[in-house]
Amino acid sequence: MAKKKKKTGIKRPIAVTLTAVIITVLFFVRIYQAIKPLVEEKTLRTALALPIFADGNLTAHGMAVAESILFLLLAIGTMVVLIGFLHMRRWSWVFLMAWIGVSMVVDLGKYFYFGVPNYVFMISDVIIVFALSQADVQRIFGIRSDTGENII
Amino acid sequence: MKTSFDHPSISVKSTDLELLRRFEPIVHYTKGEQFFPFDVERYVEECSLWAHYPDGREELLVKQEEMTLEKLVEERPATFGTIHFLRFIETLSLSESAQVLAEQSRLRKKLGKHFIVGMGRLARGGFLPRVADALFSLSLLMRGKVSPATAAAAELAYEKMHQENEKYTYYGRVVRQNGWTVLQYWYFFCYNSWRSGFHGVNDHESDWEMVTLYLYENDGNLFPEWAAFASHDFHGDDLRRRWDDREQMDLVNGHPMVYAGAGSHASYFRQGEYQAEVSLPQPGWLAGLSRAWNKFWTQTLGQNESNPFRIPFVDFARGDGLGIGEGQAKAWSPVLIDEETPWASLYRGLWGLFARDPVSGENAPAGPMYNRDGSPRSSWYDPLGFAGLDKTPPPPLALKLLEENCNEIRSRQDELKTLIPQKANELQVLGMKLKGLEDHPHLAKIYALLQKRINTVGEELRNLRRERMENGALLQGMTQRLEQVRSGVADNPHAHIQKMAVPVEAVEMRYARAAETWAAISLSLLVFAVAGLIFFAPSYLWAGLAVILILFVIAESILRGAFIQTVSRVTLVLALITTAIIFIEFWKYILVIVLVVLGIFLMLQRLREIAG
Repeated sequence: MAKKKKKTGIKRPIAVTLTAVIITVLFFVRIYQAIKPLVEEKTLRTALALPIFADGNLTAHGMAVAESILFLLLAIGTMVVLIGFLHMRRWSWVFLMAWIGVSMVVDLGKYFYFGVPNYVFMISDVIIVFALSQADVQRIFGIRSDTGENII
Repeated sequence: MKTSFDHPSISVKSTDLELLRRFEPIVHYTKGEQFFPFDVERYVEECSLWAHYPDGREELLVKQEEMTLEKLVEERPATFGTIHFLRFIETLSLSESAQVLAEQSRLRKKLGKHFIVGMGRLARGGFLPRVADALFSLSLLMRGKVSPATAAAAELAYEKMHQENEKYTYYGRVVRQNGWTVLQYWYFFCYNSWRSGFHGVNDHESDWEMVTLYLYENDGNLFPEWAAFASHDFHGDDLRRRWDDREQMDLVNGHPMVYAGAGSHASYFRQGEYQAEVSLPQPGWLAGLSRAWNKFWTQTLGQNESNPFRIPFVDFARGDGLGIGEGQAKAWSPVLIDEETPWASLYRGLWGLFARDPVSGENAPAGPMYNRDGSPRSSWYDPLGFAGLDKTPPPPLALKLLEENCNEIRSRQDELKTLIPQKANELQVLGMKLKGLEDHPHLAKIYALLQKRINTVGEELRNLRRERMENGALLQGMTQRLEQVRSGVADNPHAHIQKMAVPVEAVEMRYARAAETWAAISLSLLVFAVAGLIFFAPSYLWAGLAVILILFVIAESILRGAFIQTVSRVTLVLALITTAIIFIEFWKYILVIVLVVLGIFLMLQRLREIAG
C-alpha cells in the first residue's frame, strides 16, 4: 500500500514552486559546471593520476579539480537550500536571500568593471528575489506577520 | 471607584485665579534640565530689542539697560517683512565664548546638573539615518543657528536671575466657549536647549509651552473633562486625553501630571523617552521623487514603509528631576493674562534671537497670542479647535443635543411618511396624462413639458425615499447612542486618538554596548574607508563605496537584530538595479517577447470568439 502523503495544511504559493524550479535548474547547472573542467582537462580519464601541484603552483589539472570542487560545493549548498525551501524553513529563505544578494553584487561588479556578467544568472536571481519578496511567501516562511509587520 | 480627587470640582462662581489654582498642573522635569518656567518681565529687562529689515539690515531699537515691558509694547511702524525680536544674549567674542563655556561647566558641576543620555538617539536609528543626521548637522552650518556659547551664556544668565529671585511662573488664562470653560497654562522659558543640552533638534532663545484643561458646568459646579498638552508632531484630537483616562493621565489631588521634555519643554502625559523624527529639508523635486519611490516600494513591491532620511531624535521626558506644583518641591506663581495684557497682545515680535533660520527651528518663538510671522496663534483664539474639541459638546449638553437631534429626525420621518405617497401619486397622475398625449403630434410641446415635469417629480420622489432610508439608519445609530449616554456607559477614552504619543520602550538591543560604540564611530570609519579607497584604489571608488556601504549596513543590522529585514531590503534594491540593466541590455528582445505574447493572447481570444 502506498504511503499516505503528510499534509501540512499550508498551500505552497506559485512563487515558491517557481523558485524551487529555478533552484533545481541551478543545481544541475552547478553540477554541469563541476564536471565541465574535469572533462575538458581529461582529468576523469586520467583518474587524478596527474600531479595537482607543480613548483608550488596549481597545474592545469589542479585548477580543474579546484574549480570542480568549488562548483560541487555550490551544488551541494543549492541542494541543501532546496530541501529547506521545499519544507518552507525560515533559515532557507534567509540563506537564499543572502546568497542571491552576494551573487548579484558579484554580477553587478562584473557588469560595471568587466562588462561580462552571466545574464542567465542575473535573470534567475532577479526572479528569485521578487518571488521571495512576495508577502504571502514571506508569511509562509515566518518572515512577515499577517498584519504585514516584519517578524524580526 | 471615582474619588473626589479623581473628579474634582469647583464652584462656578469662583474667580479665574481660583479656577486656575484648583487645577494647576504638576510639572515634572528631567534631571539635568537647565531652564524652568520664568517671569517675562524679568526676562525682558535682560534683553535688547532689535528689528531685522527685509534688506538684511539689523537695527538696535532699545538697549538692554533701557528695556522694560512698557518699552516692548510701544507702537513701532515698520515696512512689510520687518521682524522685531528680543535678544537675550549679545554676540560673544571668541574669548567671551571660551569663558562662558568654562563657566557653564563649572556651574553644572556646582549644581550637580548632570544628564545621562543612556542609549543615545544615534544607536536608536539605523546607519542611513545617521548619515542623514550628519547632513542635518552640516545644514546647521549653512542655516542660521544659535551657538553653543549662546546656550552657555543663556544658562549662566538664567541661573543668575533665578538665584536673585527664585520663582516659577505660569501665565494663566480662562476662556469660556461653547459651554466649555477653558483653562490655559502658559509657561515661558528663557531658552530652549534641546540641541545643545540633550542632543535634540534645535536651540532657540525663549520658549513658550502650554497646557489646556477643559471644564464643563453641572449643578453650579465646574468639572474637568479633558486635558490637552502641546507636543511635537501632534495636532487636534491627538493632543487631548480624558480626565478619567487613568491609563494615559496621572492625577494628584485633582492636579494633572505633566512630564516635560528635557530642553524642548514639550509636554507629555506619560513619563519616558519619546522618539521624535525630523525629515531633512529637501527641494521639491527630491521630495516628489522620494514620494514616488515610497509609493513604488510599498504599493508595487509590497514592502513596509521606511524613510532613511528621517532622523530620530529623542525627547527625554523622564520626570526624574524637579517637580513644580501641588505637593512638590517648588510651588507655582500664577499670573493672569488675557487679550488686555499689553505684552501678550501688543508685542507681535519674537521673544528671542531671530537666527535667520529659513526652516524656523532656531528662530525664537513669538508670544502666546501670535505665530512667528505675527499671525494670530490658533491655540489662543480657538482653544477648542486646537484640541479638536469644537465638535464635542460638554457632557450635560450632549444628552440634550442628542435628544433634540433624534426628535428632529423623527418628525422629519413622519413628514416623509406623508410626503412620499403624495409624490408617488402625483407621479402616477402625470404618467397617465403623458400616456394620453401620445400619438397626437399637435401636443408635442405639451408632451415635452410634461415629460420634463415627470423627470423632476421622479427625481424628487427618489430623493425623498433615499432621505427616508438614510434617516432610518441615522436614527437607529443615534438612538443607540442616546441609550448609551442615558445609561452612563462611558466611551472608549482613546476612541478619538489617531496617533498617540507613546514613550519608547527600554531598548533591549543585542550587544547594546557594541551597538552604542558602533553608532558613535561608524560614520567616521566610513569616511576613513572612502579616503582609503580614493588613495589606494581610485578606479574602484564607486563599486568599493557601494560594497563598503552594504557591509556597514549589514554589520549595523546584526548589532540591531534586524539582519533579515536589512538583507531583504538590500537584495531587493540590488534586484531592481539588475532589472534595469537587463532592460537596458535586452530591451529589443524583451519588446519582441512582449509583442509575441500579446499577439498570441489576442489571437487566442479572437479564435475562442469564433469557436463560440
